[in-house]
Amino acid sequence: MSASTAKPLLSLKGISKSFPGVKALQNVHLDLYPGEIHALMGENGAGKSTLLKVMFGAYSADEGAFELSGEPVSIRGPVDALHKGISMVHQELSLVPQLSAIQNIVLGWEKSVAGFIDWSAARREALAALARLDFQGNPHVPVSRLSVGQQQTVELARAIAANAKIIILDEPTASLSTKESEKLFSILRELRADGHALVYVSHRLAEVFDLADRATVLRDGQYVGTLLRGPDLNETSLVKMMVGRSLEDFAIQHEATLGAVALKVDGLARNGVFQNVSFEVRRGEIVGMAGMVGAGRTEVARCIAGADRIDAGSVSVNGKALSLSSPSDAVRAGIAFLTEDRKHQGLALRMSLAKNATLTRVPTRMGFINRTKQAADAKSALASVGARMPTTRLAGQLSGGNQQKVVLAKWLLSGCDIFIFDEPTRGIDVGAKAEIYALMRDLADKGAAILMISSDLPEVLRMSDRVLVMREGTLSGEVARAEATEERIIAFASGGNTWQS
Amino acid sequence: MAKLEAANASPGAAATEKWSVRRLFSEWRELGIIAALIMTVLVFTAIDPEFLSSYNLVNIVLQASVTAILAMAVTFVIITGGIDLSIGTALALSAVVSGLLMSQGYPLPVVVLGTLATGALAGLFNGTIITLSGITPFVVTLGSMSIFSGLALIVSGGQTVYGIPPEFSDLLAGKIGPIPTPIVIAFVVLVVSSVVMRMTKLGEYLIALGGAREVARLAGIKVGFYTAIAYVISSSLAAVGAMVTVGRLGAADPALGADLLLPAIAAAVMGGADLNGGEGSMLGAVIGALLIATLQAGLTFLNVQAFYQQVAIGVVIILALLSNRLQKA
Ligand SMILES: Nc1ncnc2c1ncn2[C@@H]1O[C@H](COP(=O)(O)OP(=O)(O)OP(=O)(O)O)[C@@H](O)[C@H]1O
Ligand SMILES: [Mg+2]
Repeated sequence: MSASTAKPLLSLKGISKSFPGVKALQNVHLDLYPGEIHALMGENGAGKSTLLKVMFGAYSADEGAFELSGEPVSIRGPVDALHKGISMVHQELSLVPQLSAIQNIVLGWEKSVAGFIDWSAARREALAALARLDFQGNPHVPVSRLSVGQQQTVELARAIAANAKIIILDEPTASLSTKESEKLFSILRELRADGHALVYVSHRLAEVFDLADRATVLRDGQYVGTLLRGPDLNETSLVKMMVGRSLEDFAIQHEATLGAVALKVDGLARNGVFQNVSFEVRRGEIVGMAGMVGAGRTEVARCIAGADRIDAGSVSVNGKALSLSSPSDAVRAGIAFLTEDRKHQGLALRMSLAKNATLTRVPTRMGFINRTKQAADAKSALASVGARMPTTRLAGQLSGGNQQKVVLAKWLLSGCDIFIFDEPTRGIDVGAKAEIYALMRDLADKGAAILMISSDLPEVLRMSDRVLVMREGTLSGEVARAEATEERIIAFASGGNTWQS
Repeated sequence: MAKLEAANASPGAAATEKWSVRRLFSEWRELGIIAALIMTVLVFTAIDPEFLSSYNLVNIVLQASVTAILAMAVTFVIITGGIDLSIGTALALSAVVSGLLMSQGYPLPVVVLGTLATGALAGLFNGTIITLSGITPFVVTLGSMSIFSGLALIVSGGQTVYGIPPEFSDLLAGKIGPIPTPIVIAFVVLVVSSVVMRMTKLGEYLIALGGAREVARLAGIKVGFYTAIAYVISSSLAAVGAMVTVGRLGAADPALGADLLLPAIAAAVMGGADLNGGEGSMLGAVIGALLIATLQAGLTFLNVQAFYQQVAIGVVIILALLSNRLQKA
């Protein structure tokens, strides 16, 4: 990592980019050196994804210049970027849902023999890339049947298989668990050692300190500065550069006062996915659910929320068994389900924030929608999760983290009092995370029951009154708050330990 | 973050908020089709100033009224991400029922209710099958297109129904004040449809489930129920169109529907309905219907042969859709 002496592989000079009504980037510089992992940091909406998409040719910059190994170039589009050795893992999943993992990786394959693509070689390389990432899913079924985490792994495999010199990763770990993230990091380190240049976005600061050689910070679309690995690259300075002020520590002190059992799941099973899952969530309680990607956590949540059919067992709310034939049954019983895939399951991207936020409960007056109240409701719910943008904007125009806040706002307005949060802070910046944690605690204190699925172990430890751990479709452990440590949870999640409560 | 976005709402930071033609067009989607309509009228007028005579204009609007009603009908369905290929023959079936009720001397309320009920049942048939079977709307309505056509022939015995009492024709094809009744009916349908789409929960749900079906489902919206409602509305509006048609022709032809389907869908799509769902405009659909009627009238006025007319209209439809695409990009 001789970043200071080597010549930059890619250099971005004075990049500006506007969307209608928003200056997403203004005069941003970035140099990428071979053999470095370069973290790109900033709050939600700071312009990180926009900058990466400009690098990848998915957006064209309004102003600015590129240099590739010292030569001025222009990147005309993603295909051109791939040709020039730049590949990207997008923040939102960008796989073709109907195609298998292998087909997705092979899609757009460039190598050909006498004009014919060597499909078997392509497939071999695809499988090799998947194996390198320890991919656990079935590479032959349509990726829409894989979990979000597994799809994320496929995206990574695609970027790696393209064998690019420059690999752009936009929040690759947002839906990976600690263990899978570790795996990813070791691969990133290997790639770095091979002389690849990696740009990397994450809102998990610990990862950045662990991994990054340099960190560049953006704020409100402007370049703030670059920190080199070393004593300067620490939480205080980084947060200060990102947010523009220091954040107080948001350790949450509380004594949960537990009420009646709100949600009871008994012997729940879905054939081939998970079996015999039983647990309770009381009012006033936040129950964390940890486990590896593919352990079946999301699938359990989907069944409780009426999104998938249950094959055995029962779900009761306030002691009454529900008959769940569709999500509307669950919502009527007061169960809110915040999905992990916000783009396909959380937001109507072409509708305004106000309409999205009030979708579960459209305010009406005499049969007509009360637009004033709709906007006001949305605005206050958004404010409570740390988002302060005009509610007339379309959901598709927001940055990933801000979209997540809209999904949260939607469920806050639903009137439900049992919340299943699947990766609630996925992609959310440090400042807003603190607000959302406080909000969840507040919901619980007001009598809500919360089940929080999260792959972010520090988050699970910080927020949960009790931690359930899943492994391979069964509950493998339960840990009380007092005894919860990373080691214990990981042991249950990976099979080093068996059930005890 | 939010600060940036909030800052842009304040007047000071409005550098990129400034007015531009592009922006206006992208905010007000109907503008493109309105411009196309005005241009078409201007071109015909330039060729022959007689074209603009008030008789001709009223006539064009009158010609467009049934297409406009059907275009709005199919817009309800397209917004949900579906398609209704059966509206033409649903109109024929309702028209035959309507004609029979009229010719057998039933009073107006019975005729209206009977016709609307026929349309609603046709829509319920489509909606139920689509919701319960999961077969794509294209295929289901392709089948029901044939079913309704067959039913229309069966009910009418394969004969055009004549003997419509003149009071019905006077009522449905007469004038309210100076304005022909079909135009008034189409206008009322436009107002009601726009209000439903823009101001009611039903409209909001239809848009949501067209734009993001899974999102709507997980939000607890009964997507099957609302999908079915869209088809019921669509066919019921076809029944409204049926009454207007029967009134105007003074007869009910069971083979009516075939020529109505394509202009209706073309008008809806030109007016901004997105065949992928989630978007559509009632006003746009009506203007699309006016555009098609203007072309037909103008080309006839210029003595262009019918065969060439069809080609010209097809070309204009494709051009209009192309400009729609550019506008969205
Ligand atoms: N397609 C778009 N249309 C309009 N505005 C957009 C679009 N994409 C991004 N923006 C805006 O540009 C700004 C920067 O967004 P960007 O996605 O780059 O943020 P980010 O730093 O990646 O945030 P996050 O951490 O939430 O992913 C935001 O204000 C966002 O609303
Ligand atoms: Mg982003």
